[in-house]
Amino acid sequence: MIHSPDDPIAALATPLVSSALAVIRVSGKGSLQLLAPLVKGGAPAAGRRGNTINRCIIRDGDDDVDEVMLAVYRAPRSYTGEDSAEIISHGSIPVIQRLLSLLTRSGFRPAGPGEFTQRAFLNGRMDLTRAEAVNEIVRARTDRARALALQRLSGAIESRIKAARESLVELRAGLEVSIDYPDDERDGEVLDDGALDRTISLLQGLTRTYRQGRIYQEGVTAAIAGATNSGKSSLFNAMLRQERAIVSEVHGTTRDWLEGSVSLEGIPFRLFDTAGLRDTRDPLEVEGIRRTEQVLAGADLVIYLVDSTAGIRAADVSFMARWAGVPMIRVWNKVDLPGLPVPEGFVPLSATTGEGLGPLEEAAAGLALGGSPADTGEPLIDSVRQRDLISRALAALGRLRVARAGGVTADLLAVDLADALDALGEITGEVTTAEILERMFASFCVGK
Amino acid sequence: MGNRARADADFDAIVIGGGHAGIEASLAIARLGFSTILVTQSLDVIGRMSCNPAIGGIAKGNLVREVDALGGQMAKLIDATMIQFRMLNESHGPAVQAPRAQADKHAYAALAKLTLEQEKNLTLFQDTVVDFVLDSSGTSVRGVVTERGRKITAPVVVLTTGTFMEGRLFIGEWSAPGGRLGEPAAIGLGTSLRRLGFSVGRLKTGTPARALRGSLIPERMEVQQPDPEARAFSFETHRVERPSVPCFVTYTTGETHRIIRENIHRSPLYGGKIVGRGPRYCPSIEDKVMRFPTRERHQVFVEPEGLATEEVYLNGVSSSLPEDVQEQFLHSVPGLEKLVITRPGYAVEYDFLFPTQLFPSLMTKRIQGLFVAGQTNGTSGYEEAAAQGLVAGINAALHLQGREPLVLSRADAYIGVLVDDLVTLGTEEPYRLFTSRAEHRLSLMHDTADIRLLPKGHALGLQGDAALDRLTRKVRGIEETRELLRRRKVTAFDVARISILESHRGRSFEQALRDPLVSISRLASLDSLLASADGSWLALAEAGVKYEGYIARQEEQVGRFRRMEEKRIPGDFDWDGLTGVSAEAKEKLKMIRPISVGQASRISGVRPPDIAVLLVSLTRDGGQARR
Repeated sequence: MIHSPDDPIAALATPLVSSALAVIRVSGKGSLQLLAPLVKGGAPAAGRRGNTINRCIIRDGDDDVDEVMLAVYRAPRSYTGEDSAEIISHGSIPVIQRLLSLLTRSGFRPAGPGEFTQRAFLNGRMDLTRAEAVNEIVRARTDRARALALQRLSGAIESRIKAARESLVELRAGLEVSIDYPDDERDGEVLDDGALDRTISLLQGLTRTYRQGRIYQEGVTAAIAGATNSGKSSLFNAMLRQERAIVSEVHGTTRDWLEGSVSLEGIPFRLFDTAGLRDTRDPLEVEGIRRTEQVLAGADLVIYLVDSTAGIRAADVSFMARWAGVPMIRVWNKVDLPGLPVPEGFVPLSATTGEGLGPLEEAAAGLALGGSPADTGEPLIDSVRQRDLISRALAALGRLRVARAGGVTADLLAVDLADALDALGEITGEVTTAEILERMFASFCVGK
Repeated sequence: MGNRARADADFDAIVIGGGHAGIEASLAIARLGFSTILVTQSLDVIGRMSCNPAIGGIAKGNLVREVDALGGQMAKLIDATMIQFRMLNESHGPAVQAPRAQADKHAYAALAKLTLEQEKNLTLFQDTVVDFVLDSSGTSVRGVVTERGRKITAPVVVLTTGTFMEGRLFIGEWSAPGGRLGEPAAIGLGTSLRRLGFSVGRLKTGTPARALRGSLIPERMEVQQPDPEARAFSFETHRVERPSVPCFVTYTTGETHRIIRENIHRSPLYGGKIVGRGPRYCPSIEDKVMRFPTRERHQVFVEPEGLATEEVYLNGVSSSLPEDVQEQFLHSVPGLEKLVITRPGYAVEYDFLFPTQLFPSLMTKRIQGLFVAGQTNGTSGYEEAAAQGLVAGINAALHLQGREPLVLSRADAYIGVLVDDLVTLGTEEPYRLFTSRAEHRLSLMHDTADIRLLPKGHALGLQGDAALDRLTRKVRGIEETRELLRRRKVTAFDVARISILESHRGRSFEQALRDPLVSISRLASLDSLLASADGSWLALAEAGVKYEGYIARQEEQVGRFRRMEEKRIPGDFDWDGLTGVSAEAKEKLKMIRPISVGQASRISGVRPPDIAVLLVSLTRDGGQARR
C-alpha cells in the first residue's frame, strides 16, 4: 500500500538506550497542527516560526509527560523539506516510549526505515546523483531492519503473522465469493466466525509479547546487594567472568558501586555491585551506602546475598522488607563453606566455586521477563512499528466482529477485513487483489 | 444511411465487428458527428449472445448502467427485450447489489441491428476484414483491407472482433475453424497483427448445450422465480413492462460425475489439444468435476433463450466433451432425462491481443488511430465488451477532434477498474469483472452511475440537456429525502407498528436507519411523504446513512489515490534515462509507459522506492525542485 507521500510521521532519531537526551522527529503535511494540542500552552507550537527552539512541556491529556526543547522547522527549510519538528526530551526509556505512544495516538504514523531521508530526497533536498545510493540504503535498511527484527527469533514471528494473514485471506476470499457469486451454493456461513476468533487470539497474543520483546532490546538493571562481606563483589566478578571488583576480606571495601554489562539468556543485564549496607560512621562508607540506595531505587531486580556462614541477620530482614516491591532473588552464598542449611525461598550459591551460578542466572533472566516465555515457547515482537501495525489489524478485526454481531451486510464487513489485511500486509509484503482472486477460485468451486 | 464526410478518406472511422463492443463503439462515434462504417462478417448476427442469454449480474450490472450514464446503448436494449429480472445481492448490501436480466436473445439482436441501421452517420457493411492499411511511416492506421479485396480508408479504426480471430472450435475429437458454432472464423487478422509487431496470445472459452424446452421434466427441478417487479437498467427508462418467465434449477449427480470422469481423456483440453487458457471463474463442468472431486453436486440453471423460441440454455454445464458424452451426462441430471439437444456445448480457442499494449484510452501504443476493444483484449462478457467499446468509440472521436482522451479512474467507475486492470496489469486468462477488483467498491454503487458519469456524457455530447435535468432532480430528491429523515422522529405510534424501533424512540429516522436491522422501506411505510419519494432516492439516502462511516474512511483513501493519479507523466518521458530503479521495474515501466504515477504504482514489479525515484525525476524535469 502506498501511503500518501507527505502524511505525518514520527520516529525516534536517537538509539533506544537510556541516556541524557533523546531526539524524536516528526515531519509531514499538517504535522505541526497535530503537535499543537500536545504542547502545554497549545497553539504557539504550531504558530512558531521556523528554525526556532523553545522549552515547553508535552502533555498527554492532563498529565505532563516531559519537559522538552521543541525545535520547529517550516517547509521548505527543513531536513525533509516539509513542516517538521524535533522533540529533544529526557533520554529515559519510559519517557521516550510514552512520547512515541502519545504521538501515535495523536495521528502520527510510525515512520518506516529511512523514510525521513526518503522524503528529503523526494522534496529535492538531496542531490539527484545520490539517488542510487539512497535507494540502496532504503532497500538495505528495510531488508536489514526486517531481518534484524525477525532473525533473533528464527522466523517465529514471521510465521505467526503469515499464519494470521493466511487465515484472513481465506476469510476474505470466502466473503468475496458470497458477494460475487450469490447464486452459487455454498457450504457454510459467509464468514467463518471460528477462524476469525482464532486469528484475533493469535494477534492478541503477539501484542502481549511486545512488552517482553522490549526487554531483549533495552535490557534490565540488576543490583547485587547484601550485608558487607556477603560476597557481592565475588558474585559480580563471577557473573562478569572477570576480575573487576576488588575482592578483599576487609569489610567495607567497595565504597562506591561498580557497573558491568553481561548477557543472560539473550537479555542484556546492567549489573551493579553495591556497597555493603551496615551502620557505619565512615563518611566514605556512608556516601557509598547512599549511592547504593539510589541504584536500588532504579533497579529492575535485586540479587540479595546472605552469607550462609553468618545466617540471616536483622539487617537482612529489614532490607528485604524495605525493598519487597522490587523483584528479588534471595541468594544463600558461600555454600562451599560449612554453614547453615539453605532456607526456604533462597537459591544456594558459591560465588567462588561457581556452584549454583547457572541456576541463579536463569532465575535472573526469568524474573526480568516477569514470567517465562521460554516455557510457553511464544515468540516475541520487538519493534514499535510491528506492534502498531498488529494493533491496527486488531482494531479492524474488532470492528468486524462488532459489525457482524450487529447484522451489518457483507459488503461492509469486507471493508474492515481489507483494512486488517492491509495492516498485516505492511509487515510481510503487499496483499494484492490477484491473491484474493487466486484463493477464491482455488478454494471454492464457483461459476457457471 | 451514412454520409461520406471526408475528402481524403472514405470515412472518419471504421469499426470491425458487430458484437457488443462494436455496437457501442460505432454508435458513439456516429453520434458524436463522425461518418462511421461498421464492417462485420455477417449482418445477421449483430448483437448475438454467444453464451448466457443474460445481461448484467454482479459488477456487470454496474457496467451496463455506467455505459448508459455515459450515453451508450446496452441498457436500453435490455430494458426493451428482457424476459426475467432479478436484483442480485439484495441481502449483501447496496454497494454490491446489481441488476440482472435474462434476455430474449433474438429480440435483443434484432433491436441492436435496427438501432444501428437507424443511426445517421453510420453505415453497415457485410465483409470480413483481413488486414490493415498503414501510412508510409507505418505508425498510423489509414484503413483496412477485406477478404473480398476491398480497401476502405479512414484515419481511425476500432477493432472489436471478439472470439473470431483465428478461432477454432472443439467438441471432443472434432475440431474445425470457427468463431461460434455455425459461424466462420476471421482468418488473417491475427496474422496481420503479429506481422505489425503486436504480441498476440491464445485464450479459450466455452459454452454449454442448448436444448428444447418441451423435453424438460419441470416437476423434477426447482423453480427460480424472478423478482415480482422488473427494474430498468437505463436511467432514462421509467418503467419496464415486459413478460417474465421463470428459470429452473437442478443438480448434477454422482452418476453425472462418473460419466465425465470416465470420458475425460476424450476432452480436448484434458487431452492436450487446446493450449489456450480458459477462465477459472467460468469453468466447464469437466473442470469442476476434476478440480473439486469431493463436491457431490453442481448447480445447473435452465434458462429460456427467448419468448419466440423453444430453445433453452443450460447454465453451469459448459463442456467440450464429445457430443455422445454430453448427451449421456446430461441425461443423468434430474429433469433432463429426456433432454433433446439442439446444439452441443463446445470450446472455442481464439487469438487475443495482450492489452498492456494499449493506452488507457484503448488506443494501441504502436499504431496511432488504431483502437481495440472487447473480447479481443482478453475479456469475457458482453458487458465488459460494451464498456470497452464505448470507451474506444468515445476516444476514437476525441482523437479525431484532436482532444485529450477520456480516462475513467478506478474511483470513478467499474469501467475505470476494468480498463486500468487490462492496460496496467494485463491478463493471462479471460478477464471478468468482480466487485472485489474494485478498491473503492462502496463509491461505485449501480444507483450512482448517473451521478458519477452522466455529467461527463453530457460534456462529451452523448447525453442531452433533458438527461442532465433529470439528474439534477434526482440529486435534489435525494437531499430532500435525507432532510426528511433527519427531521422525522420516531413516535410511539411508529413503535406500535414496527416493534424493532423501540430502542430508537424519540430519535430521528436517520439515526434509526443506522441500525442494520432497520430498513428504509419499512420506515417509508410509516410516513406518506417518504413513501412518495422515488425508489432510487430512498435507496441512495439509505446507503448514504448506513455507509456514512465506511464511506468517510473510503473517501480518505480515494483522496490519496486521486493525488497519485493526478501526478501525470508526459508521453515523451525518457524511461531509459531513469536511474535508481530496479531492473525489473524499469523493464515494466518501459513496456507499459504509464500515464500517471498512480498507474505506475500498480504495475507488478514496481515498488515504493521506484515510485520515489520517479516522483523526484518528474519534479526535476518540471524544473520545480525545491531548495
